[in-house]
Order: sequence, then C-alpha cells, then structure tokens
Amino acid sequence: MNLTLLLITMAVTVGAYILSRLLNKRYPSPLINVVFLSTAIIIVVFWVSGVTVSQYQSAKNILTYLLGPATVALAVPLYRNRKILSQNILPVVVGIVLGTTANIITTVLVAEFLGLDRLIVVSLAPKSVTVPIAVNISTILHGDPTLTSVLVIATGMIGTFLTPILLNLLKVTNPLARGIVYGTTAHGQGTASALSEGTLQGSMSGVAMGIAAIYSSVASPFIVCHLLSR
Amino acid sequence: MTQWLRFTSQIALLWLIYKLGNIVAETTNFPIPGNVFGMIILFLLMLTGIIQLEWIEEGADLLFKHLAFFFIPIAVGLMQWIGLFKLSGLQLLLSIILGTAVCIMVMGSVATFFVRFRSQKGGC
Repeated sequence: MNLTLLLITMAVTVGAYILSRLLNKRYPSPLINVVFLSTAIIIVVFWVSGVTVSQYQSAKNILTYLLGPATVALAVPLYRNRKILSQNILPVVVGIVLGTTANIITTVLVAEFLGLDRLIVVSLAPKSVTVPIAVNISTILHGDPTLTSVLVIATGMIGTFLTPILLNLLKVTNPLARGIVYGTTAHGQGTASALSEGTLQGSMSGVAMGIAAIYSSVASPFIVCHLLSR
Repeated sequence: MTQWLRFTSQIALLWLIYKLGNIVAETTNFPIPGNVFGMIILFLLMLTGIIQLEWIEEGADLLFKHLAFFFIPIAVGLMQWIGLFKLSGLQLLLSIILGTAVCIMVMGSVATFFVRFRSQKGGC
C-alpha cells in the first residue's frame, strides 16, 4: 500500500470539494453542481497524473466510511418533521409510492427498449435512491454495485437540474410538494438543492429521501422481477 | 475542541445504530438493506424517547451538510465505466431522464391533487 499516494488522492478529493463548494456559493447555478464539478476536477487530475481507479480504491473506502451512519441519520429529518409528516401522510406516502413506482417502471422499460444489457438495466433500477441503499438494492437484484453508484450520482445531477425546471412548468408552488419531489427523484443532491429553496423544502426532501429509500428497497425487487420476466 | 468531541461521539452513536441495523438485516434475512433497518431503528428509538434528538442532532446535521462529499469518491468510478458510457451513454441518459421526468410529473400531479382537495375542504 502506497501511503503517499493514498494521502495525495485524499487531499485531491478534499481540495476539489472545497473548491467546488466555493465556486457553487459564488455562482449559484444548477450547472455548477458540487458533485459534478469535483468529480470532473478529480478525473482530470487523475488522468493527467496517471492515477487509476484501483489506486484510488483505498482512499475512496476511507472517504466514504461515514456514508452508512449518514444514511441512518436520515431518521433525524423524519423525526423532526413528524408533526407535518403525520398531517400530510397521505400526499407524502401516495406521492412517493406512485412516483417511485412510475420512475422504476419507466426507467427499466426505456432501458430495455433501447437494448441495454440486462446487467445495466438492473443496475439502473434503484437509481433514484441514495447511494448506500441503492448499492444494496443493486446487490439484491444481481446488478453491479459500482455501476449503480455511478448511475445514482448521475441521476442526482440530472434530477437536481430537471426538477426545478419541470416543477415550475407544472406550476407546483407548494413547498411541501416541491420538497418531496426533490428528495424522491434526486436523493441527497436533490435535498441539498431543496435546502437552498427553503427550510421546509429541504426537510421534506430529507423525509422523502428516507421514505423513498424504504419503499424502494421493498418494492424494486418485485417490480424489476415482474418487468423482466416477460 | 469540545464541539469536535460532541461531533465525534454523536457520529459514533449513529455508526453504532448503523452496525445494529446491519446485524438485524443479517439475522432476519429480510431483503431490506441494513442501513434502512438502522434508519427505522433510530426513528423508533427517538419516537419512544430512548434516544433524545440532542444526542445525535449536531452529528447528523454535520453529515447532511457535507452529504455531497461522500458521493464524489464514488462518482470518480465513472472513469472505470468510460467504455460503457461511450458505447451506450445516450441510452442510459435517456432512461434516467425519462424515468426522472415521469416521477416528477406523477408526484407533481399527486401533490397538486391533494392540495386542491384540501383547499376545497377548507383546510390549509
């Protein structure tokens, strides 16, 4: 194990993150997405200096170590918003169940129709759920967890870009509704965007992300099996 | 200094519940990921008052604030799949965009329906 390389790649990651956050604060735009920008910076740096993904593996394991506890912490917005959640339990749950189901069905059918490989279709199914949970769902579905996590990130970027545009087009102004859509389509990255719209949006997004993850982990094996068994 | 001690101990508590969730998932053999179990366990522990919000609040908020950071090392894995994206990037992009768009539209309509239904009944 090359300790210097480990420390350098970790430093590059943290540096890219700090730089992207600063840029995002100065020029707030959906195009200047923190994850997208940092990833692009790191990939370019690695390409130029010849660092490979396998060399980055140990740095990645250390840097993502807290993702598990972060997922568990999703119970906190759920608990904080328990009042508003119980008052709106019907629109929240019905919205998330219908939205998530429609999302999985559309994605799988379109991917299959376009002739994508079965492994890729299956890895794509849990794309709207936060990474640590999507990876587990992918394993249950016999997909590729690494590919799934990359596709989840891509979905987060696309979702945070698409959600405000479509919601404005559909004239959805209710902050509660906007929040749950962000969390259900674009998980953590959507929640970050929802937070920049307002506290209620942000907390509802966090709530939706948690509920969507629970629902998805139960439902997607059923939905995907039925869709692909024909 | 004491603030960092609080962050560390709060995140350690979250980590403990995460591990507990994994153990529950493994022993019950239920097809639900361990971290989802951990989330449900933490929610129930807070509802029953066994864990107070203040015990984990700061740690949880710190993790949320930098949630995007954890996705970056994973997204770098894109490098590995560059061949796939060159080959079927358009198909992937289309599947993701359509799935996401349908989800937004369905949820937008559901939410609007409920908001209208409620305002007719004279609620909030």
